[in-house]
Amino acid sequence: MQPTSGELPEMNNLNPLVSLHDSQMSKSSHFDPTSSHDDFLDQMFSSVPSSASSFPWPEDHAPPQPCHLEDQSTALLASKLRQQQISNGAAKALLLQHELMLSRGLAVNDLRSPSGADIEFLNVPHADQDDVVDGSYYKSANLDHEASVKALFNGFTGSIGHSSNQPQHLLHSQKFGGPAVPEMNQPAASGTSGGGTAGQPKQRVRARRGQATDPHSIAERLRRERIAERMKSLQELVPNANKTDKASMLDEIIDYVKFLQLQVKVLSMSRLGGAAAVSPLVPDISSEGGRNGNGTQTASSSNNDGMTVTEHQVAKLMEEDMGSAMQYLQGKGLCLMPISLATAISTTTCRTRSHHPLASASNNPLLNSEAAGPTSPSISALTVQSATIAANGGGETSLKDVNSVSKP
Amino acid sequence: MKSRMQNSSLKQEFLKNWIKGLQLHANFNKNTTILERRKAIKLSADIAIASTRNSTTRWSRALIADASRDESNKTLIEKISGRDVPHKASFGLIRCSKKILKRSRVAREVRAKKAVSPSVVASLIAKKLVKSRTRVLKRLVPGGEDMDEISLIKETIDYIVSLRVQVDVMGRMAKAADRLIRSTSL
Repeated sequence: MQPTSGELPEMNNLNPLVSLHDSQMSKSSHFDPTSSHDDFLDQMFSSVPSSASSFPWPEDHAPPQPCHLEDQSTALLASKLRQQQISNGAAKALLLQHELMLSRGLAVNDLRSPSGADIEFLNVPHADQDDVVDGSYYKSANLDHEASVKALFNGFTGSIGHSSNQPQHLLHSQKFGGPAVPEMNQPAASGTSGGGTAGQPKQRVRARRGQATDPHSIAERLRRERIAERMKSLQELVPNANKTDKASMLDEIIDYVKFLQLQVKVLSMSRLGGAAAVSPLVPDISSEGGRNGNGTQTASSSNNDGMTVTEHQVAKLMEEDMGSAMQYLQGKGLCLMPISLATAISTTTCRTRSHHPLASASNNPLLNSEAAGPTSPSISALTVQSATIAANGGGETSLKDVNSVSKP
Repeated sequence: MKSRMQNSSLKQEFLKNWIKGLQLHANFNKNTTILERRKAIKLSADIAIASTRNSTTRWSRALIADASRDESNKTLIEKISGRDVPHKASFGLIRCSKKILKRSRVAREVRAKKAVSPSVVASLIAKKLVKSRTRVLKRLVPGGEDMDEISLIKETIDYIVSLRVQVDVMGRMAKAADRLIRSTSL
């Protein structure tokens, strides 16, 4: 009967092989979000003035000069309020009301007169604003205005939940002042379709914002909203899913699904029912001085799974010479380490319980596995990496080339 | 989303189904290769987790349908799910034609030499990325090829939850088996 120590490594072996791959995959994708994030912000900034005056004017014309506006400001706001209430529901209307009052209050703070008129910019839609944008706007708020204003804005966002644009527009308005208003109108011509998430080109010429007359755009917006809310719930499931744009979210999702599927595959290789051992990469190397009882499987490579091929390859190599096996692994960006060490590391770094069967207590160098369970690939890859550094100093086996295990 | 209660009952149901399937393979002996063993175990596990959904989700139906394509799995499926799943017709033709349409559309656009302003380019790139990744996701989720984006995401959520259940239960089982082996052999 095969040595019991040989048991679980079979399960463990696959994971490290994969985990590093995964980590490399996910690492490369980690860099993307930052740049796309910036793009998103730029978009937001650039779209602000254009979208600003694209709201439904009651008389349906753009105001010519600021002076007109101050007269009409309250009337406009009132009409806006009504419109908001009709089209968007209570939340936005409430916000608008708040801002109306706020603008009154702010007008006292020696803002120029057209400030009232500028409040109209507040209505801009952007329903699916991300919290990230909020953060950046709050930063600018800090710089420019007194804490009370900021606190008010924070309060709004907190209570209503999606209002990042409003505070920001208020800031903009205060900066721009009157003369900016006519300018606003021009970019407005190239208006927005409102409510888009990052990456949506805002090119269509649109007259109004709250009410899309085109049934196609309504349907499309509905669809986009549905997708957005589903993605939100997906974000909670997938670890590391704080990405703002769709492409990187999808990337994380894909990585995670692949990771889970691989785990299932590896786990199904374990010894169940106490049957005879069997692991492609059997363990007891130290006791046998270099080879092991893996005669059972080498024939197999009939399946076309890349991982299995690697496993078998490594097993074969291990039979002949540990060093070559190590080098082979290193070529793939993987490493060997004692399971006990790997387990120790993964249980301390990962919060989830480590389900993977801890194999032998002996210091057999085994292909590392990471903690099973819903840990993200990148975390486990890190544990592998940090573990290798430690492993080099750790108690080892009598392998010749153990020193050649370097950081992948 | 899923409450703890729901989750643990899901795990139990999966375990029950899985064991039912494994019992069919009680004839493992020394000669069964690892590969065969692993395939059997994985198959039982997959069918077990798919049947916890009672065919309410597309991925579960697709999974079972795929498995039932192989004649030798029929008994397994019947045992676990308690009912016979008819063989699903393949939708290969539809997929094929969609691919052709897509390719021709892309070629047309390239030839037309669309606008080259940087913002447009950026958004086009973003869209392309999203599209290609959606395609990859469709390949990963069983039965995902025929779904539209909205239901794809819904299915993915469900699938991920089920995969986690699977991994959790299988991991525990493996750990327990390991302990059992070690305790008996020592």
